[in-house]
Amino acid sequence: MALVNPDFVDEVKRSEEFNASACMNCGVCSAVCPMGIELLPRKLFRYVLLGLKDKVLDNKETIYSCLLCKMCEANCPAKVHIAENVRSLRYYMNKKVFKL
Amino acid sequence: MSDRRIGVYICHCGGNISDYVDVERVREAVQGEPCVVVAKTAMFTCSDATQQEMVQDIKEQNLDGLVVASCSPKLHLFTFRNVARRAGLNPYQYTQVNVREQCSWTHTDDKEGATIKAIRLIRAGIARTCLTEPLEPIIIDTVPQVLVVGGGIAGLRAAIGLADIGIAVFLVEKSPAVGGWINRLGKMYPHGKNGGQLIAKLVDEVKKRQNITLFTNAELVEKSGNIGNFNVKIRVSGQGNKKDNITANVGSIIIATGFETYQPKEGEFGYGIDGVINLPEFKELLDRCDGIPTRNGKEIKDIVYIYCVGSRQQPDLENPNLYCSRYCCNAAVHSSILAVEKDPKSHQYHLFKDMRTYGKYESLYGQSRETGSTYLRFGEDAPPAVEKCSDGKIKVSVKDLLTFGEEVEIKADVVVLVTGMVPRKNDELVDVLKLPVGRDRFFNEIHPKLRPVETVVDGVFICAACQGPKNSSESVASALSAVTQSASILKKGYVELEPLMASVNPELCHWCDVCVKTCPYSAIEKGEDQGKEVARINKTGCKGCGGCVPICPRDAIDLKGYTDAQIKSMIDGFLKETF
Repeated sequence: MALVNPDFVDEVKRSEEFNASACMNCGVCSAVCPMGIELLPRKLFRYVLLGLKDKVLDNKETIYSCLLCKMCEANCPAKVHIAENVRSLRYYMNKKVFKL
Repeated sequence: MSDRRIGVYICHCGGNISDYVDVERVREAVQGEPCVVVAKTAMFTCSDATQQEMVQDIKEQNLDGLVVASCSPKLHLFTFRNVARRAGLNPYQYTQVNVREQCSWTHTDDKEGATIKAIRLIRAGIARTCLTEPLEPIIIDTVPQVLVVGGGIAGLRAAIGLADIGIAVFLVEKSPAVGGWINRLGKMYPHGKNGGQLIAKLVDEVKKRQNITLFTNAELVEKSGNIGNFNVKIRVSGQGNKKDNITANVGSIIIATGFETYQPKEGEFGYGIDGVINLPEFKELLDRCDGIPTRNGKEIKDIVYIYCVGSRQQPDLENPNLYCSRYCCNAAVHSSILAVEKDPKSHQYHLFKDMRTYGKYESLYGQSRETGSTYLRFGEDAPPAVEKCSDGKIKVSVKDLLTFGEEVEIKADVVVLVTGMVPRKNDELVDVLKLPVGRDRFFNEIHPKLRPVETVVDGVFICAACQGPKNSSESVASALSAVTQSASILKKGYVELEPLMASVNPELCHWCDVCVKTCPYSAIEKGEDQGKEVARINKTGCKGCGGCVPICPRDAIDLKGYTDAQIKSMIDGFLKETF
C-alpha cells in the first residue's frame, strides 16, 4: 500500500500552469494520443496528485515518449494543460532523478 | 335503471394497456351492457382531443353516466370528473375503472386473463354508474389563521409569507429559540451568506408583523376539528415546571419540523477516534476559526472527507437509510473550499462513492478541484478504513477506483464524516396529527410531484426537511408552497369536501348508538328527526370510510357513492360469464 504524499504535487508544480487536478479522468487524452500511450496522461496525473512518487518514477519511459503534440490538450474537455504538465514532470525528473 | 344513458371509454394508454388487454374485444363485450349508449376506445383517453370528444358525446347523446377504463383513479379521477363537469354532467356520475394497474401491468404473462378481468371490472363499473345520483360537495367555512409547527428557516419564512397575505399565524417552536440548524451555520453556499445572519433577518421580519404570534418552548399537544376549522392546543413550558395551555382555532396546519443529523455509530468509519468528526461539527470548527483552522491547539493541514455516511446504506443493514441525503455532497465540497480559503496550504482529500453536486452546485465541485481538492472514489464493497496512528495522525486506507484500483493510505489531521439527514423523532406529533410516515421514516406527501406538500390529512401540510432531505433553499421553496396551498383554502373562505360519506335513513334508525362506537373520526352524534332520536352524521367529520354501514343492525346507514345497492350490482357485474 502506497502512502499519499501531499507535498509531492508542490515539488512537481513549476508554475500555476500546472493543473492536473482539473482532470476528470474521462480518457479522451488517451484515446487521441498518436503514440498510443495508454498511461498518459490521466493515470500519471493521478499518481502526481496523490503523491505516489514511486509510481511516477516507474513510468520514466512513458513520460519521455510523449511528443508534446498537444493533440490531447486540444481535445481535453476540462482544459487541462497536459503538455505543460508533462513538461513540469520532465523538469522534475531531470533535476531530482537524473540530477541534470 | 333501464333509462340511464352511459358512455364507456376504454384507453390503450399508448400500449401500456393494449399490449396485454385486447381493448377492441373488451369494447365489444361491454357495448351491449344495459344502459350503455356509447362505447369507444382511445389511444389516450386523457388527451385533450379525447376529452373533447367525451364532452361532445355527453352533450349530443344526452349521457347521464360516464365510465372511463384507464389507469388508477389516483392519477386521473379528477381529470375525468372535470370532463363530466365541463359537459354539464354531475362529476359524481363518473366512474373510473383501473384496467392498467389492475389488469395489463399485473398480468403481463396472461393476456387472455387480463382481457377477461378488464371486461369484468368495466361491467362492474357500468353497473355502479347506473345507480349513481348527482352529489354536491360539502361546503365548510374556513378560519383565516394557520398554525406553523417548527421555527427553523422554513417555518419562519412560511410564517412571514402567510402574514403578508393577511393570514394570522401561530408559530410554535419546541426549543427555547428559533432558527434551527441554519442559525448555527456560518458561510453557506451558494451565495456565501451567513446562516446566523439570515435567521436574524427573518426574526426581525417576524417581529415587524403583528399577526404572527410566536411560542417558544412550545408543543402542539391536541388537535380536533377539520380542515378549515381545527381546534389546537399548544403547551408552553414556562419557568420551572410551569406549563400553560393555549387553545386556538386555525384553518390549516403547516408542519416544518426539520431533520436530525445522522449520528455515526461507535467505530463506523473510525467514529470515536479523536479527530474523526461529523459534518456539522466540522462546519462549526471552520466557522469558529478566523485564520488557519486548528483543533486542540494543533493546525489542521490534511483533511479527509468520507461521503455518504448514514446515507445510501447497504440494504442488508438493520433499518438502513437507503435514500441520498442530497445536501451533503454540496455542503462538504463547499466546506473544503472554505477550508482552503482559510489555509491555502491545507490538503483536502474527498473519498466518495458517487459525487452529486447537482444542478448549479456543480460549479462548487469544479471550484474545489481548482483550489486543490483531490477526489478518490471507493467502491461499495471496499469502504475506507480509518485507524489511529501512534504519531497522533489518523490513517485512512482506501482503494481508489480513479487511480485504477490503487490502494493508498492518507495520513490526516481530521477525518470528516459527511453525515446525512435522518428524520427527527416526533412520535407525539405524529400521534396528535395522524401524520403519514413513510418507510424511510420521513413524513409522506400525497404525490411527490403533483401534490408535494399536502398530506392525506386534509388541511395538514408538510414542508422542508421533515418530508425528506433538502437544502435550505429547497426547504424555503417547499415552505412557500405550503403557504400557497394554505392560502388557496383560507383566502377563498370555504373548502369543498367530497360528498362520499355516510347518510342515515331516519325512518329505519332507532338510535341504538352501535355506529357511534365504530366511527374512528367521532363523526356520528345523536340527532332528532320528527321528534325521534336518530343518528346524525357530522358532515365535516365523516371521511366516508364506511365502517358504520355493515354494523347497523337495521341497515339504516348507506355510504353515498358506494351504496349497498351499488356494491351488489357491481358484484353481479363481475360475475357475468359471457365474454
